[in-house]
Amino acid sequence: MRISTTKSRFLAVLSSAALVATVVIATPAHAAAVGPICDGKVPVQTCQGTTSDGAPFVMMVPANFNGTVALYSHGYRYNIDLPAGMLPSAPAGYKVTNTPEPIPGGNPAIANYFLGNGMAIMGSGFSRQGWNLDAAVATNVELVAAFKKQFPKTNHVLAWGSSLGGIITQTLAEKYPTLVDAVAPMCMADNISAELTAAGDVLWGLKTFFDPTIKGGNYSAGAAGNAEAIGDIVKVLTVLGSLKNSVSTGAWPATSSATGKALEAAGVPSRSALLLVGLMAGLPTQSDHFDSISGPDGALKLTFPLAVSPALAVLENAASAAVLAILATQDVELQAGGAVYDNTKTDYSARVEDSSVIYNAALSGNTVIAAMLSALNPANPGAPRAKGDPAAMAMMAKMAATTGKINMPTVMMTGVADPITPAGATQRVVDAYAKQLKSEHDAAIAAAKSSKNYQRPQKNLVVLWSTTPKSYTTFDATGAPITTTPAAPGTNHCTFSTDNLLTVAKMMVGAGTTGKFPLGGPIASAARKSGNLSVDKYFRAPLLKYYNE
Amino acid sequence: MKRRALISATAVLAVAALTAATVPAQAAEVGVSSTSITLGMTLPMTGTASPGYNKIPGAMKAYFDYLNANGGVNGRSINLKVEDDQYVPTQAVAKTNKLILQDKVMALISPLGTANNKAVAASVNPARRGVPVLFVNTGFSGFADTKKYPTTYAILPSYVMEAKIMAEYIKDNFAGKTLGLVYQDDDFGTDALKGFTQAGVTFAAKVPYASGSQSSTTAAGWVSKLSAAKCDVVILFGVSSATAAGLGTAAALKYAPQWILGSVGGDATTIKAAGVPAGVLYNAVGASFAPATTDMTDDYIKLFSDIYAKAVPGSAFDNNVLIGMNTAFVTAQALKAAGTNPTRASLMAAIESKGSTFASAGLLPLNYSKTSHVGYNGYWFGKYSPTGDLKPVDGKYVLYTTDSGSGAVVKSTYKRPAMPAKGLPE
Repeated sequence: MRISTTKSRFLAVLSSAALVATVVIATPAHAAAVGPICDGKVPVQTCQGTTSDGAPFVMMVPANFNGTVALYSHGYRYNIDLPAGMLPSAPAGYKVTNTPEPIPGGNPAIANYFLGNGMAIMGSGFSRQGWNLDAAVATNVELVAAFKKQFPKTNHVLAWGSSLGGIITQTLAEKYPTLVDAVAPMCMADNISAELTAAGDVLWGLKTFFDPTIKGGNYSAGAAGNAEAIGDIVKVLTVLGSLKNSVSTGAWPATSSATGKALEAAGVPSRSALLLVGLMAGLPTQSDHFDSISGPDGALKLTFPLAVSPALAVLENAASAAVLAILATQDVELQAGGAVYDNTKTDYSARVEDSSVIYNAALSGNTVIAAMLSALNPANPGAPRAKGDPAAMAMMAKMAATTGKINMPTVMMTGVADPITPAGATQRVVDAYAKQLKSEHDAAIAAAKSSKNYQRPQKNLVVLWSTTPKSYTTFDATGAPITTTPAAPGTNHCTFSTDNLLTVAKMMVGAGTTGKFPLGGPIASAARKSGNLSVDKYFRAPLLKYYNE
Repeated sequence: MKRRALISATAVLAVAALTAATVPAQAAEVGVSSTSITLGMTLPMTGTASPGYNKIPGAMKAYFDYLNANGGVNGRSINLKVEDDQYVPTQAVAKTNKLILQDKVMALISPLGTANNKAVAASVNPARRGVPVLFVNTGFSGFADTKKYPTTYAILPSYVMEAKIMAEYIKDNFAGKTLGLVYQDDDFGTDALKGFTQAGVTFAAKVPYASGSQSSTTAAGWVSKLSAAKCDVVILFGVSSATAAGLGTAAALKYAPQWILGSVGGDATTIKAAGVPAGVLYNAVGASFAPATTDMTDDYIKLFSDIYAKAVPGSAFDNNVLIGMNTAFVTAQALKAAGTNPTRASLMAAIESKGSTFASAGLLPLNYSKTSHVGYNGYWFGKYSPTGDLKPVDGKYVLYTTDSGSGAVVKSTYKRPAMPAKGLPE
């Protein structure tokens, strides 16, 4: 893209380091709405303040503001401090923060795109962390109003967000259809009941097979609950570490339950039990480094992808999701007033009916599968089911949720093997929109019968599937898989390239300002050029297990 | 001016008419050009499960080359793209995606393996894409479910049918004997168990093996269990490499029951190529729905073996080759029946409306209709000769037929129609 001289100079001013420093500036929380207080700088002025719920926000507005502003909603942040050494991403420990995030991860290239083209960006840090969908939507509504008041020239509001921010964005679009002109929920989380069912299934499976002292939910209130949750994180990561070490031998962790030890005595490899847990919960069988396709040269060329790799993928995905699964469960339990996970009626056999055929060898065959499912049967006193608190579950059900209604041009992007916000969350919207579009089409035909003028319904949803490479597991000279390389595209959580994010941003801006997406070619072409993105309309991700698809 | 315009228009029409008369009309369907039709298949070309099955693409290509040399299908040649999935379901998904999205095949043909086809159905979803999955190389009865797999067409008799018919054979020939069963511990084997259960067969020893685990080491464990149970008659219901491992290891351990080999793993060439002496196969019981590959009195065997010998000199004409060539032949008829400008939809419609009348080497009928995607529905039983060739007992094909449900096993009265001239679609 050709940039004007002014724009080039502008971009030069916005050095990456300076921009990142600007966009992650900490803002103290306030008890009431404050600001925005703007510094008046050129070429970009920064405005800060807090909304009435005490959520800090940042607005960055270029001098040549063209009336378009993009509101970004960040993803899930843990709601309790974590000690050092617990998170690979925060080795020195984690402190709860509500620092505003007006662009994904403070990415300077994304900021440059908006600001360099005369558009403003803004974002809040929200008033509380954890699962904050209801509060965050309210914050965003207030933030949009504050921006418009401060900058009356505003004529187009775009909203986008990642992970929890994705569902915040979708909820905003569903509830306030006239507030925004286009949205882009990325790696969108599903509704909380579905997400915590997946989390609960993983934790319950690990507890039941590998360490019965894992609580997996029903945490105490206050500091005691925090300690229990942190204790669970340590136990789960320890179990996963043990399983990783014994993946070739199939030995079970020393902490395994009596049920687990009985299966071990019957010759069931621990990797098969781990894989079953992952399949029950809907964890992807491709992960950062394990494609379930490749094998090392030599004797394991075929055996590795057939019998081992799917379990290692589940293990890597479980490790990625474990901390969030535990802390989100604890957080929502606090908000709801009790245990929200209940698997007393879950039919795990039905859950794995198809996948147990596909991963039959890795599960060690039908006989072993039957033995494991029998061990998980409610009739086995060694595998007690988790019972939720009805009042708490009812409370959770009242929390904000999406229906998948599309009210405006919407760009979605998600990784097909995301273990935290599975692609099925996006698929649910796709399915709902297919019904919506058909309904609109039927209504248009009915209207045309009287008006004699058929108005084709506008297609308002573009989905970009971030796909995994054809194969990507690599091996060292000894045939051991290499796990130190960056996560493959389409895996882990929201692992989008800057090009991917720019593609989404540009589609959102284009549709937000024109009111529609271009037909056909340009979308597919942009996705292809962006890398690892597919607009395959026939691709279908499995819905989260909660929906009993 | 008007006259000149009229002349030009007439000239254009004349050229168009001439073009239409000499080359097929340009088709708009994926994988179909004015000169060719592209099909794709996945199967294990390498890896544990590949022996024997890796000859199928060569066999299919041999027939398609023969067909192409004789004018193709309505003037279009058939182009077959082959992808090696190593019998790994996730590989099958990746390779099928490539065939559909990158190679843009019109249809999938003869993809092999129950788990692989299930994985593809769940992940690639050919049905949602409207892609025909022609004549899957698996006998899993579930693939005939037209609601769950609306674009998938079976061709092999189901494993349920095979087990039920095998049970009838056992009742007639080995009544009172102690029975053992070795089976693949997935839906392939489960389908067989379903058939045996339906037929009321009781096994003294049932030995499952996980797909991919077959080897001489694991087979020693099977033999140990079978001999401990004093099995006189043992059914090997697995892939060829499992059959070979079972027979070879048993022979080495001096365990010699009456063997009955399932059709999937009963190809003698493959078993012998794995190092099992023909003598070990001698007198084992086997089953097939097509003529014996050594039966040169059969028009199809004669023609197909001749075509194959010219296309792949030195390669034995065996049951896998026969199945591959027969599947190609049936496919050619389906494409022909799909019209001069075949589409995916017209191809499937043709199979459903005319498929039951397609000529084939099979000694039992194809059962396609709008409500049935069932292929052949029966078997004959024979014994392996001293040279390891499967031949009908007393030289006569006694054909049994049944269904995948509770239907009885009865002798078939089907009379196979004559082969079309030169073995080409009519």
